[in-house]
Amino acid sequence: MVSLPIQTNDQQMKISKELIEKFHRDECSSEEKEFVQQWLFNDDGEELVDFNETEKELHKVQMWDEIRTILPQENHPIQQQRTARFQFWKGAIAASIVFVLLISGVAIYQHNSKNSVLQWVDVENTSGIQVKYVDSKDFKLSVGPNTSAKIDQLTGIVDLAGSLLIQPKEDIELEFTGATKKMSFKKGQTYIILKGKDGKDQVIIINEKNLIDLPPIIQKQIINEFKI
Amino acid sequence: MNLRSKLRLFFSCLLFAVIFGCTQHPQDKTAQLAPKYSLYILAKDGSNYLIETSSLATGTLSPENDGVAIDADQISRADLVKDGYYYDLDERTGQFAKYTINNKKLKQIAAITLKNFSIENFEWFGSDTLLLTGLNHIKDSEVVYNLITTTNMKVVKAGKMDIPKPQGIFNNISVGVVERRNNQLFVGYTYHQLLSPSSYHTSDTVYLSTLKYPEMKAEKLTKDTRSTYPGGINTIQPYSFNDEQGNYYVMTCPGIALGNRPELPTALMRIQRGEQQIDQNYFFDLSGSIIQNHAYGIWYVGHNYAIVRSERKDLYKDLNDHYETAHFSYYLIDVLNRKVIERLKLPLDRGTRKNCIIVEGDVVYIAINSKTEGNYIWQYHLKTKVLQKGLQLNGSTDYILRID
Repeated sequence: MVSLPIQTNDQQMKISKELIEKFHRDECSSEEKEFVQQWLFNDDGEELVDFNETEKELHKVQMWDEIRTILPQENHPIQQQRTARFQFWKGAIAASIVFVLLISGVAIYQHNSKNSVLQWVDVENTSGIQVKYVDSKDFKLSVGPNTSAKIDQLTGIVDLAGSLLIQPKEDIELEFTGATKKMSFKKGQTYIILKGKDGKDQVIIINEKNLIDLPPIIQKQIINEFKI
Repeated sequence: MNLRSKLRLFFSCLLFAVIFGCTQHPQDKTAQLAPKYSLYILAKDGSNYLIETSSLATGTLSPENDGVAIDADQISRADLVKDGYYYDLDERTGQFAKYTINNKKLKQIAAITLKNFSIENFEWFGSDTLLLTGLNHIKDSEVVYNLITTTNMKVVKAGKMDIPKPQGIFNNISVGVVERRNNQLFVGYTYHQLLSPSSYHTSDTVYLSTLKYPEMKAEKLTKDTRSTYPGGINTIQPYSFNDEQGNYYVMTCPGIALGNRPELPTALMRIQRGEQQIDQNYFFDLSGSIIQNHAYGIWYVGHNYAIVRSERKDLYKDLNDHYETAHFSYYLIDVLNRKVIERLKLPLDRGTRKNCIIVEGDVVYIAINSKTEGNYIWQYHLKTKVLQKGLQLNGSTDYILRID
């Protein structure tokens, strides 16, 4: 199943240790995954942790404590050396973990980007009679007369005014402006998607095999337009 | 090929032979009995099957083992089934063909071309004369007909019907019922305004034209605003009937699946025997009864009783889930006394429109596609009001779209 990135305007997600851990355990939802990936490759993103004053003070003390352990001290020279060596290895291990995580993050991102990002589609069919056919790498589209169809790669939202037949080449999920939830589209099946230009107009999404369950007046229009 | 794969091939072939060898004989025996019933199945993968069987009361059948896979372009769920023959119009090519099933193979017997024609309504006159009323495919506002003799598959007469074209805001028409009374024809219809690919508006009026038959010239036009959208496309599901006395009843369907005027009630209207117009003293408001919902489809079971198939607005959301959500109930109603007798204690059914009831004497067969109790033909005994499961449809069955 391939999914599209979606907008997360409604809930402001924050990067946290838990979220990153979740990401590496591959337990993130597609939104969370997308958010982490965006954060990972974004230079001007928010800081990992936002400290308040007491936390700052606490960390300051901890840091000084750590520094103090590697400073030369008369009383415990051997122990200091050991600690310093340990600290070196600790840092190296941490660095290599970060490195490995970063590499795997890139790998996951690249792996996902191969599948999850659908080809951008922006079709305007101004003909009042002819159907326009689009064969993209992800699906075949039949764009009805007087129809504009956009599939936004970034938001994953399909903006449609008119009538559309879609035949996915892989199982995909799409979200529609005006519809509340994502819809699953199965490989090889044909779906009919209808929506007027008016934003309040209902979206109708139906498998072609269930066409006769639509009101006859809508059916007839589709049959005439697409010659199905 | 190594020995292992050879052996595997050998044993799978053997298994295949044994299974089919065993099942072939009983099938041959049943094939000798003339199949009485036909079922149209939509499978889970979207393919279509016809199953012919001699009993709806018992047994288990599956489309992939017992049916004939058919191309919906050849025979759609809007087909006509009569005396062992299937008739279907392919609107793309205009081919109206007659088929039969022989040794599990669909065979075309004859075909004629009905150009630019889509069927809204059919009515048999006797055993071999068929009146198809519909719309001109190119101009959806023009009501046309084809009168066909089906023994030799010839168009006897064809042309326009004298029905007023949509006017004003209206740009489309639906012919919901056509009924012949000797040399007269009742045609019930309503008008629509297409607003967008996904929305439309329907007139608040039921129109009834009385045409002179076979001239198809208008004699009378009456209007009724108590409900709208009389009938529906009756190749998919019935919406009207005659009682034993010759009174003609018509169901109106203003619900979202047909008229899309949900504020108006689903109702029964009547043309009394010998009359030419809708009886103003009769109106059975089904939405206002204990059903409290819109309904689509009515089947007369005799003695003034009928069964209606009603939706449940509290269970579906909109047109997108109307057909797949299990929300349809069946009610036994007394049409003469305008009373709901009872809700049949059947599992909730799926499918917006289905030709799913056959009446045989005191037994009503009802095809139910339940999400929890499977796909069965149920038997409803009119005298005892007892319900019981009959023939089961399993395998890849998703919807039993019609039983004929």
